[in-house]
Amino acid sequence: MTWNGYSLARYGRYARTVAVLALLIAVAAWQCEVSLSDLVRGIVKGLSMLSLFLPPDWSAFSEMVRPALVTVVICLIATPMGAALSIVFGLAGARNVAPAWLRMISRSLIAAERGLPEIVILLILVAAFGLGPFAGIMALAIGSVGMLGKLVGDAVEEIDARILDSAAAVGATRLQVIRHVILPEILPSMVSNSIFRFEVNIRASVLLGAVGAGGIGFELNAAINQLEYSRATVAALTSLALVFLSERVSDYLRERILTGELA
Amino acid sequence: MIGAPLTVPARLLPSVRLRRRVALFAASIAGLAGLFLYLHVDPLILVSDFHYVTGVIDEMLPPNFRLLWVKPSIWQSLVQTVSMAFLGTLVGAGIAFVISVLAAGNTAPNGAVRLVVRTLLATERCTPNIVVLLVLLIAVGIGPFAAMLSLCVGSVGMFGKLFADAIEQVDPAPGEAIAAAGAGRLQILRYAVLPQVLPSVVANSFYAFDVNLRAAVALGVFGGGGIGFEINVARSVLRYKDMFACLILVMVMINLMEHAADFIRKRLFSLEGELR
Repeated sequence: MTWNGYSLARYGRYARTVAVLALLIAVAAWQCEVSLSDLVRGIVKGLSMLSLFLPPDWSAFSEMVRPALVTVVICLIATPMGAALSIVFGLAGARNVAPAWLRMISRSLIAAERGLPEIVILLILVAAFGLGPFAGIMALAIGSVGMLGKLVGDAVEEIDARILDSAAAVGATRLQVIRHVILPEILPSMVSNSIFRFEVNIRASVLLGAVGAGGIGFELNAAINQLEYSRATVAALTSLALVFLSERVSDYLRERILTGELA
Repeated sequence: MIGAPLTVPARLLPSVRLRRRVALFAASIAGLAGLFLYLHVDPLILVSDFHYVTGVIDEMLPPNFRLLWVKPSIWQSLVQTVSMAFLGTLVGAGIAFVISVLAAGNTAPNGAVRLVVRTLLATERCTPNIVVLLVLLIAVGIGPFAAMLSLCVGSVGMFGKLFADAIEQVDPAPGEAIAAAGAGRLQILRYAVLPQVLPSVVANSFYAFDVNLRAAVALGVFGGGGIGFEINVARSVLRYKDMFACLILVMVMINLMEHAADFIRKRLFSLEGELR
């Protein structure tokens, strides 16, 4: 049986997969309340609202500089804090450094953290510390541990056992092994990963800011809630520039580290 | 050589190294203090206000799992979050694939189109999710549809570039061969390019689903619906026990989805030969 050169024998065996996929899509679309008429209406409405967003109200830009800096500073504090924490958790989660029970605890904490989006952590912290940059800093620092802690743990476990044995053979204590063998070994990749995490944190902190952690995300959300759309455009463009710059800087620094220029 | 003075470069002297290390340490502490001052934040509230943290934890324990049968809509909101991520990834990957054909040097109609598409993709990648969501919430209204659309837009930015790079790296020989046999542009795409990039497209889509699932929870907090919305509601009415139950549900859900995606991916790639 063929149709336009497509034979049933060749494509028929995909029928079940296609049917399952179609069913999943149908259920998902129903759950997401997908509606084409909403989409069309949304596009029309969006186009008509474009005149509200444009032109950007550039006079607001001077008010955006400080929030943007606050976002950067939040990440500047949170990333090293997270990196330091993740060294502790990473070492505790490495088979060749920590006892099995400690490794279990540390690894499951790290995994649990990775399962939670930063915003959820922020919501808990906001309940404790109230709105403000401090909750944002803590949320990003804790959020960094999920990624960096796992990377540190894996990197430590990959260290050649003979190096650790030789240090122990000359009488180094566990702390001395960590200080003089393990740390120098993982430091370059650690720095490079932390810089990458900084970039991720900048993106995340725009979102966290909108919940109330301050910074450029807060300005953006506030402008939209107050219907000052041309001001919101400036905030959006500022955050875009921030992310772009952090990406460029992070790429540049990591390349330098990778090639060993900045060791 | 007897009597020759033993010279050690000054930078290797223990005292110099120690002094340098102390200076570096002091400088970073001072820098950190400066940053905190700039924010007008007192880092010591971590210690002095720690009783608030324990207070909140006390409030959260034990998680109120009765919610699961007292309020069955929780289940629906979980399904909703997964649906947002699933549809957003699928539609986003589909659109990204079409766009990446226009962004890849070897398949784009001309250089100008490629440049414009690449620039658009780069701009999207720099735009935080929340900006897209806030605009979409205004356009299509509060609800999961807006969140799904914004995940879709995010996926296009994330994967348009990856797919385009994959297309640029395909082996040109099969395409040239069937072009010589008279294949048109679309036929080259279907029979020479697609089989070569499909594995990477599929693998990346699974990764995108993982990223999008977490983002779907986050976007829910802003009125995108789903479990994120439930968490935020529970928090704002101070029902911390309910919130904690939802948090555990989120972690379980993300874990389950990860395993499900792994399982499907393994099955797909064991069929990889047939997929071509």
